[in-house]
Amino acid sequence: MTGREWKIIPQEPIFTLRLRELIQFRYLLSQLVYRDLIASYKQTILGPAWLIVHPLITTLIFTVVFGRIVKISTDGLPQPLFYLSGIICWNYFSECLIRTSTVFKDNANIFGKVYFPRIIVPISLAVSMFFRLVIHMLLLLLVMLFYSNHYNQNILTSIAIIPLLIITIALLGVGLGLIIACLTIKYKDLNFVIVFSLQLTMYTTTVIFPLNSAPKNMVSLVRANPMTTIIESFRHALFNTGNLEIVPLCYSLICGFLFFSIGFIAFNRMEKTFIDSI
Amino acid sequence: MSEVILKVRNVSKCYNLYNSGSISGDLSKWISSRRIEKSNYEFWALQEISFDLRKGDRLAVTGDNGAGKSTLLKILSKITRPTSGSIIGKGRITSMLEVGTGFHPELSGIENIYLNGAMLGMSKRDIKLKVDEIVDFAQIINQINNPVKLYSSGMYMRLAFATAAHLQSETIIMDEVLAVGDQKFKEKCITKLNDLSSEFGKTIILVSHEREHLRAICNKEIRLCKGLMI
Repeated sequence: MTGREWKIIPQEPIFTLRLRELIQFRYLLSQLVYRDLIASYKQTILGPAWLIVHPLITTLIFTVVFGRIVKISTDGLPQPLFYLSGIICWNYFSECLIRTSTVFKDNANIFGKVYFPRIIVPISLAVSMFFRLVIHMLLLLLVMLFYSNHYNQNILTSIAIIPLLIITIALLGVGLGLIIACLTIKYKDLNFVIVFSLQLTMYTTTVIFPLNSAPKNMVSLVRANPMTTIIESFRHALFNTGNLEIVPLCYSLICGFLFFSIGFIAFNRMEKTFIDSI
Repeated sequence: MSEVILKVRNVSKCYNLYNSGSISGDLSKWISSRRIEKSNYEFWALQEISFDLRKGDRLAVTGDNGAGKSTLLKILSKITRPTSGSIIGKGRITSMLEVGTGFHPELSGIENIYLNGAMLGMSKRDIKLKVDEIVDFAQIINQINNPVKLYSSGMYMRLAFATAAHLQSETIIMDEVLAVGDQKFKEKCITKLNDLSSEFGKTIILVSHEREHLRAICNKEIRLCKGLMI
C-alpha cells in the first residue's frame, strides 16, 4: 500500500485550497471542535452554564443602563429583546475574531511539531463558536416566547435571512481574525489593541441603539461597519422592525468575502514560515 | 529494487536572523539596508541536500550539533519550508521531533492517541483498530486514562514512540527519541523499527548520536557538517 504523492516546494500559488486534504482531515476537525467545546468547561463550577451567563448579564446591564437610565429608544421593542439580539450577533463576531487572531500563538507548540492543514484550526474555531451561537439563539427564543405579543414575526423572512447573516458574521470575524493573526506574528503589540478596540466598536454599531435614531448625517458612518446592517437585518428578520435594505446588506456580504479572502491568502502564506520567526 | 518513496533535490534552508518585532525596528532595518550587507543577517542551515529513499530504507542522519539535522527533519515533516529545492514523496509521514509529537498535556493518553491519529488525517475507525496495540506496546495500561501531564518522561516517550510506530504512515521520522527510555525499551524500539521496515515496508529516518543504535537499524547514512552533505 502506498499513499498519494505530494510535493514540497518553496512557494505555492497564492490561493491553494486543498479541498481533498480538508475532507481527509474531517475527523481532526470534529476532534478540535469537541476539544474546544468540552475541554474549556472542565474544571469549572458552572460548566456550560457559563455560555448563557455572559449574554444574560450583559443584557441585564444594558437594559438598566441604556434602557432605564439613559433611555435610548429600542424601536418599540421590549428592551431585553432588543439588547439580547444585538449582543448575540456581536458576540459571535467578536469571539470568532478574537479566537482566530491568536491562532498562531495558541498553537505554536503543535504547529512546530506536527503537520496538518493549518486552516483546519480557524475553521474549527468558527464551528465551535457556531455551537455556542445556537445555544444563545435558544436563549433568545425563550425570551421571545416570554414577550411574544410585543412584535409580529415573519417566519419566512427569518428562515431565509438568518443563515445568510450567520455565514456573513463568520466570514467577517474569521477573516479579520486571520488578517490580525498574520500581523501579530511580527508585531505582537497588536494583540493589546484588539480587545479594547472591539469593545469600543461595539458601541458604534446598532447593538445599543436602533439605526433610525441615529442623526441623518451619521447613518452612513454607522453603516460603514458591516456589522451594523447585519444586526439591523437580524432584528428585522426576528421582530419585523426597521426595513430590510438590500444594498447595505450586499455591502456587508462583500466585506465578509473580501476580508475572508485576504485573511485566507495571508494565512496560507504565513503558516509556512511563521514557525521560523516565532 | 523497491520504489522510490522520497526524492529530495537541492534542498536549502536559510534563516533570517534579523527579526525585530517592532515597526521602528523594521524601519531602521529598511533605512540601513543600503549600508549593511544583507548576508550578515542570513544563516544557511542547509545547503544543496539531495538524496533518494526507497520503500523500506532506514536512513541515519548524523552530524554534530548545529549541523542542520533537525532543520532537515522539519522540512521533511512539512513543518517549515525549504528556501529552495524540492521534495517529492508518497504517503503519510509521522514525525517525532523531540519527545512527544504534539501531545496535549491536559488530555489523557487515549485522547492523545486519537488526536495524533486525527492530525495524520486518519479516521476514527482506523485509529480505533490500532489503540490496543499502542497501549500494549507502551506498557502504560494503568495510566492510559490519566492526563499525559502526569506521566513520567519515560512513560511519555514510550507512548509517543508507540503512537508514531503504529499509526498509519509510510514514513517515520524520529529525532533523538531513543535517548530517554530504559535499556530494555530501547531494544524493543530497535526491534520494532526493524520489523516495521522489513515486514511493512515502512521507510524510517532517524537522528541519533548513539552510533550503535544507528548501526543496529539503518542501511543508509547522510552525514551533515555545517549544513552541507559530506
